[in-house]
Amino acid sequence: MSELQSPLAAIAGDVQARFGGAVRLRDSRSREIYLEADCRSIQQVALHLCGLPNVRLAMVFASDQRPQESVFYIHYAFACDRAGGFLLIRIPIPADQPEFPSLTPSIPAVNWHEREIRDWFGIGPVDHPNPRKVATHDDWPDQVFPLRKDFDLMTRIPLCNRPRHVFRPVEGEGVFQVPVGPIHAGIIEPGHFRFSVAGEPILYLQIRLFYTHKATEKLFEQRPLANCVFLAESVSGDSSFSHATAFCQAIENLAGMEVPRRARLMRTLLLELERLYNHIADVGAIAADVGFMVANAHAMRLKERILRLNGQLTGNRLLRGMNVIGGVRWDWDFVQIEAVETVLSSVSREFELLTDPIFSSASTLDRLDNTGILQSQIARDLGVVGVAGRASGVNLDVRRDHPYAAYDEIAPKVTVYDRGDVFCRMKVRMDEANESIQIALEAINRLSEGPVRTEIPLSPARNYGLGYVEGWRGEILVWIQMGEDGRISRCKIKDPSLNNWPALPEAVQGNIIPDFPVINKSFNLSYSGTDR
Amino acid sequence: MKLWLAQVVLQLFLALGLSPFVSGFIRKLKAVLQNRRGPSLWQPYHDLFKWVRKGTVVSQQASWLFRATPYVSFLTALMVSLMVPMVTAVVPLSYFGGVLAVVYLLALARFFVALAALDTASAFGGMGSSREMTVSALAEPAMMLSIFTVALTAGSTNLSFMVQAALQHQERFLSPSHILALAAMFIVLIAETGRLPVDNPATHLELTMIHEAMILEYSGHYLALVEWGTALKQLVLMSLLVNIFFPVGIGGALTARTVTVGLIAYVVKLLLLACVVALVETSNAKLRLFRVPELLSIGFILAALALASSFIF
Repeated sequence: MSELQSPLAAIAGDVQARFGGAVRLRDSRSREIYLEADCRSIQQVALHLCGLPNVRLAMVFASDQRPQESVFYIHYAFACDRAGGFLLIRIPIPADQPEFPSLTPSIPAVNWHEREIRDWFGIGPVDHPNPRKVATHDDWPDQVFPLRKDFDLMTRIPLCNRPRHVFRPVEGEGVFQVPVGPIHAGIIEPGHFRFSVAGEPILYLQIRLFYTHKATEKLFEQRPLANCVFLAESVSGDSSFSHATAFCQAIENLAGMEVPRRARLMRTLLLELERLYNHIADVGAIAADVGFMVANAHAMRLKERILRLNGQLTGNRLLRGMNVIGGVRWDWDFVQIEAVETVLSSVSREFELLTDPIFSSASTLDRLDNTGILQSQIARDLGVVGVAGRASGVNLDVRRDHPYAAYDEIAPKVTVYDRGDVFCRMKVRMDEANESIQIALEAINRLSEGPVRTEIPLSPARNYGLGYVEGWRGEILVWIQMGEDGRISRCKIKDPSLNNWPALPEAVQGNIIPDFPVINKSFNLSYSGTDR
Repeated sequence: MKLWLAQVVLQLFLALGLSPFVSGFIRKLKAVLQNRRGPSLWQPYHDLFKWVRKGTVVSQQASWLFRATPYVSFLTALMVSLMVPMVTAVVPLSYFGGVLAVVYLLALARFFVALAALDTASAFGGMGSSREMTVSALAEPAMMLSIFTVALTAGSTNLSFMVQAALQHQERFLSPSHILALAAMFIVLIAETGRLPVDNPATHLELTMIHEAMILEYSGHYLALVEWGTALKQLVLMSLLVNIFFPVGIGGALTARTVTVGLIAYVVKLLLLACVVALVETSNAKLRLFRVPELLSIGFILAALALASSFIF
């Protein structure tokens, strides 16, 4: 072991030493280390790693390598948040015995990740405590696995009559079930919520998602690389720039491309604009859900100004079409740069018009305080990230822990609260909105002349890599493996909503039904990003 | 007899015509207070017209009750609007039963709407019914007590007599019992018309609704009847408040002059009250559902104090 070993390499080295021949090094980079482990030892390895301080299991996913190596792989991505990198361990799964040991009993955060693998790849988690389907629905046949390589994307599946999903029964005198959705009032996406209530208090909430599953991860495998950026933008409409950035960074990472500084600063600015318009809209929407419309009206006004600025900067109000692999599509002239300064400094001044009425309205604060508390320990156990995590004392921010774009030179101040109620989640958004304005203005100040994109090299350095972005909701991870034909052979997307949805029932428990909408709004999770 | 018939017809048209306007006016005012342009003042009329033309969809689970309820709620509201003094102190249905009949005809409508909401077996309807009944069980006594305070001083529960008695003793407007009863009645008005901070008439969130949750299943002309009935009920309650507590400008007899003055005074008072309602709605968030009984208890206590102090002062 050398003296200059990085903390990440130290963790990887320690694991290899501790588990002997069961864990082997595949590839070591400065911020990603790839290991391969035996199927039998993964439980101990994962438990050991998750027992280390500031290491967590961020995502679990599968890849189908049967055509090349006649095995599946299950990949475990451990985020080493103070070591500034990721540890990716894969285990081979023989094609004729598609099973892997479930980690959910000891690491509940990967519950949905593992069930998703079973539903989409047909690789079953052994001893999973809740083996019901999650990612495919009742009318989907049991033995058809859409993300396997031998499943053709255009296959038509006849509806099949499988037994209906069994919700957990909640019984007792005066206990009723209130089914809500999947179709909702307002313009939101589908999801089924089943409340078990005794009068108004909620005893238990069961959520059923994946109504908008589009096999996006498989679509990436079909398209030319350049088109895939557009696909990444549509994973979750309100995070289109973050998802596109994560995707581009994954490709840039594996191809060994150096993105010019000007492009990294521009990306930083746009990422913060995306955070800003969403946070402002959410603060307003939280106020609207408790009937305080004045704040909402201000929020809509401010959001509109930022959307117009987005349009002026990128030609698209939702920042689409701007990201390209290797940088950004075009440069800005001084009119556009001046517009950023004008709009952001006036939004910064007027942000108080939105926050002051909320803080001075006792009736609003009464609705937000102590509503929908997500306990810190539960948040940690479920791997909650982003805004919801930081409101419950989970001190994570990819921008600070794993700097990308220009966050190495402009470090964000991260605010963390511990109470975990609706008020804290709103306050985190307010603080971050203010911080976003500062970061964006700083990024504009630091812009120096230079190119805004580089070309994709003809022969990429490696054929797999990770991209990570702190979207406005939380951590977005994209892992890409390239095939031999220059197309993507596996693209795994982890939206923060996948981590945070299972925390919603925990936050809701013990609250009353009419408070559910505002609790849900304070999380504001993406359906599309979860369902993919 | 002819005069009576004319008055019935005129008051019917006034109530039917004015009630959507008051709703539209409050909506517009709220929009302006939120810095929005808001829908046109005539939007409620357009909505009614639209619903009447549209087809209706009725759940297969629904019985006759679901179809009958819109008529019951509309007709009771229409009848009540003939029993409340609007432009003149003389009421078309003056001898029908006075204020007790008003309160209980409204209760009858509510009873039917709550049953119809349960009838469709939708999850939201039952929630709405149970909440509405909780709210109204608390609002009703507060309303009765505050009206009785005025009735006691007038020596009658006949609304015409009450208004005339109040007109003769205008010095009572500032008596403590009068003001306490007025405050109680205002709280009742907010609760009974489903306005913030008790209920949010503008929300799309079914889980938070009270009144709206009960009528979610209605469409087409049924919805038009229910909505118009709700607007009529709001007009009736607002008329009670402005005319019993402030019978300023209201005519005692039926002459052209008193009717004209009465009409202008009535509309001005209604719109002023609508402004207060819009202000309260804009400056308050919706109360947590379990806090609503606290607000209504305050209304009840105010009304009880009003009644007690009417004996003291």
